[in-house]
Amino acid sequence: MTTMTMTGAAVALQGISRVYGRGPAAVRAVDDVTLQFPRGGWTAVMGPSGSGKSTLLHCAAGLERVDSGRVLIGDTDITAAGDSQLTSLRRTRIGFVFQSFNLIGSLTAEQNVALPLRLAGRRPSRAEVRATLDTVGLADRARHKPRELSGGQQQRVAIARAMVTRPEVLFADEPTGALDSRAARTVLDLLRAMADAGQSIVMVTHDPGAAARADSVVFLGDGRVVDQLTGASTRAVADRLATWER
Amino acid sequence: MMGMSRAGLAERWTLFAGALLSVTLGVALVQSSLLLLITAALLDPPAGASAAERMEFADGTAAAVSMLGVVLGGAVFLAGFIISSTFAFTVDQRRRDLALLRLVGGSRGQLRRLLLGEAVTLGALGAMLGVPAGLAVMRLQGWLMREFGFVPQSFAGEWRQWILGVSFGTGILLAVAGVLVAARRASRVRPLEALRETGPAARVMTWSRALIGLIFLGGALALMIVAPFGGPAGGMAMAMNVPIPAAVAVVAFAPLLVPLIARLVPFRAPGGLARANLSDARRRSASVAAPLIVLVALVVGNVGAGASFTTSGIHQLATQTHADLVVESTGPPGPTNPPSPSTGTPSADTPGAASFSDIPGVASVSVETRVPAEVTTGSGEDRETETISLLVIDPVAYAKTHDDSASLAGLNGREVAAGPGGDVPGAGGTVRLTVPDRDLGDLPVVAGVPATMTGGANLLVPPGLLSAAELKDAPTQSFVTLTKDADAAATRASLARFGTVTTLDDRLRADAEAANSTNEKIMLIVLGLGGLYALIGVINSIVIGAATRRREFAEARVTGMTRGQVVRSALLEAYAITVSALILGGVASAATFIAVLSTTKSVTGTGTLDLPWTQIGAVTAIALVVTTATTLITSLSATRPQPVTQLRAA
Ligand SMILES: Nc1ncnc2c1ncn2[C@@H]1O[C@H](COP(=O)(O)OP(=O)(O)OP(=O)(O)O)[C@@H](O)[C@H]1O
Ligand SMILES: [Mg+2]
Repeated sequence: MTTMTMTGAAVALQGISRVYGRGPAAVRAVDDVTLQFPRGGWTAVMGPSGSGKSTLLHCAAGLERVDSGRVLIGDTDITAAGDSQLTSLRRTRIGFVFQSFNLIGSLTAEQNVALPLRLAGRRPSRAEVRATLDTVGLADRARHKPRELSGGQQQRVAIARAMVTRPEVLFADEPTGALDSRAARTVLDLLRAMADAGQSIVMVTHDPGAAARADSVVFLGDGRVVDQLTGASTRAVADRLATWER
Repeated sequence: MMGMSRAGLAERWTLFAGALLSVTLGVALVQSSLLLLITAALLDPPAGASAAERMEFADGTAAAVSMLGVVLGGAVFLAGFIISSTFAFTVDQRRRDLALLRLVGGSRGQLRRLLLGEAVTLGALGAMLGVPAGLAVMRLQGWLMREFGFVPQSFAGEWRQWILGVSFGTGILLAVAGVLVAARRASRVRPLEALRETGPAARVMTWSRALIGLIFLGGALALMIVAPFGGPAGGMAMAMNVPIPAAVAVVAFAPLLVPLIARLVPFRAPGGLARANLSDARRRSASVAAPLIVLVALVVGNVGAGASFTTSGIHQLATQTHADLVVESTGPPGPTNPPSPSTGTPSADTPGAASFSDIPGVASVSVETRVPAEVTTGSGEDRETETISLLVIDPVAYAKTHDDSASLAGLNGREVAAGPGGDVPGAGGTVRLTVPDRDLGDLPVVAGVPATMTGGANLLVPPGLLSAAELKDAPTQSFVTLTKDADAAATRASLARFGTVTTLDDRLRADAEAANSTNEKIMLIVLGLGGLYALIGVINSIVIGAATRRREFAEARVTGMTRGQVVRSALLEAYAITVSALILGGVASAATFIAVLSTTKSVTGTGTLDLPWTQIGAVTAIALVVTTATTLITSLSATRPQPVTQLRAA
């Protein structure tokens, strides 16, 4: 693993753009964005639907290539990384959580959590996997398949799966988007605890309440960064969002 | 990784059951055909058979071996085609799962290994089931061969130890080959595809697919172009081989063609879902259509070609033969069949014809006696002996009775001529000839008649070459032409003394019926089980396609469609795909028919096409019934649970 300077950001985007389509039908989903997501901090990304939040997240995580600019995870430049480099990046340094959970239906909760380790060629002990499930409060559901779990429980399994490799950065795209307020609060509490323990988190959300739990909020509009807030309350976030969504 | 694979096996069991079934049946079919072929090729004539019987036996065996060769070729093609397309389809259907694996850190190599591991497991498992299944198939095929008289009653396929290696090799190899291309494509799936709810807008026509299509199209066109120049035997063989490359070419372009044609099929569907699915799920449509296209092309193309060639041959025979009555006898007809005074030195007279001349009303007679013989070509290592059929004729009478045989008139002494059956050197060559119990040495071929559609004797020899004793048990046909003023009934009555008398027309009609029935029996053996296998391939694709549609159905229902509407929409979609596949299979058959027309025209002067309407109707009906029934069952079972429970599973 690459050594990191303590002052460096967890993820740095330098003037990145991503254009879909060509000619007059082209959509500039991300338009010349420069941003730093601090190490050990929790950053929320907000903005109207179609403003490029998911695209930004995908580019930052190396799931989508950028048309221009540079993407750095830690001090590793992944802009032109090949497939095998990106694969090892996903195995060891970044984790994902998505709105639709994306668990593998044929595997139990415990097998889903163990999967990234096994793909990396490790034989995780049951205790190690159970411990991770325990941190998300689901040790007793280890043997259940995704369809036997509630949405909130599935999302917690997905978080456990993302965390089991102890990634440098956790990317989350509307992790509470499909959950009711109680389940959402459990998930946000979990993320807060992780951030407090030093985990870097980048989270896209529509919910001002969720964004207010983060350390800072970035607002996107038409693929550009239009505003940033630090340590804001739900109310402040909602007000700012309303300004930009008008 | 294997644990993942095992869990995958358990979850998507219909997918894997379908793949397994395709391997099992493919291995069974190949194994059975191969064992039967080997058994037939090594078949010994019964103990105590005479030299003539041995030659007849060798001739019959050669025919059975070549038929089984075609059966084996068809089995290998179908197994390769159905297994590889089924496996490729199962991989395509799991793109999203595979993308998810990539998302959580799976490498391309791991995905490839996972899929190849699955293929090896399923291939081996399929072979394990296919070996005993193959023994059952062999019993059935052997029974058909005996029942239809293509092999002696004692014939039974024999087990061989090494077939285990062949069967397991076939199963694993074909499964791996099928997955290889699909696995390469699947391993390039982007992790992001896991996040899209709907299937990826995957490219349906890849360059490699188009290339394969063009190569096979070229092959089909080459066969079509060359067939009319191949003579009757070669032309027939080439025309009968058009359906396979033509079907493969059509299948390769199916992802483009099926939705295009399906769009033209008229129907009214609830919510336009069926129509949207047709253009959206192109690969699924094409995968269901593929085995159906092959089935139609094989059955309609081959049965049509076989029937057309038979009809054309009978027609040619009727126009080229000039006689009124046919007398069939054992040995040349004569008052007493007197033994020749000296067996070794053949006499120059024609024993048969002489005996007819006394009968009033007979203008001329061509006596033709069929004797088995062997022709040897090459020497030393390359020495090859082939069983042929030889016809002892009276050259002048023969030339009067059969068109195009004027060149035979001078045939004399040890001279021989190439017969309508072809397969021997033409005029100017020599043949080394052996008749039962006697080596006749090298004989000059001095003349020949053109090969005909129905074939017949390979060699025509003058009467003196064989002794009366050598001919006395040989089947003989005497073509009798009556004088203008003959009392037909009286002449016929007199002729009855020499053998069974029929009119030429009745004789030809009986020949036509026999030829058609033989043709149908051959088609049943060659295509019966293969067709069934292709049909199972169709069912397989529908079941596999439905396995991944539960979610799609559930979404349609929560959007407001009733269960009945969802099922009806699936049925209409299946109907449109079936009709398109039937049309495309018809296109591949039409390519065959073009080759049939040009070949029959070049051989007989008249292009002949005898379309097998019964089989066309049967294939159409079976295809519609099977796809409808399978779709009905799968979509009903996929919509049984409440839609909500299906949407909630990841
Ligand atoms: N694969 C794609 N092809 C073409 N256009 C795309 C693609 N993905 C996204 N876009 C376009 O890029 C823009 C940004 O999309 P993105 O998914 O990033 O928005 P978002 O901010 O995440 O929206 P939401 O809040 O609704 O999820 C949109 O206009 C979208 O239509
Ligand atoms: Mg989004």
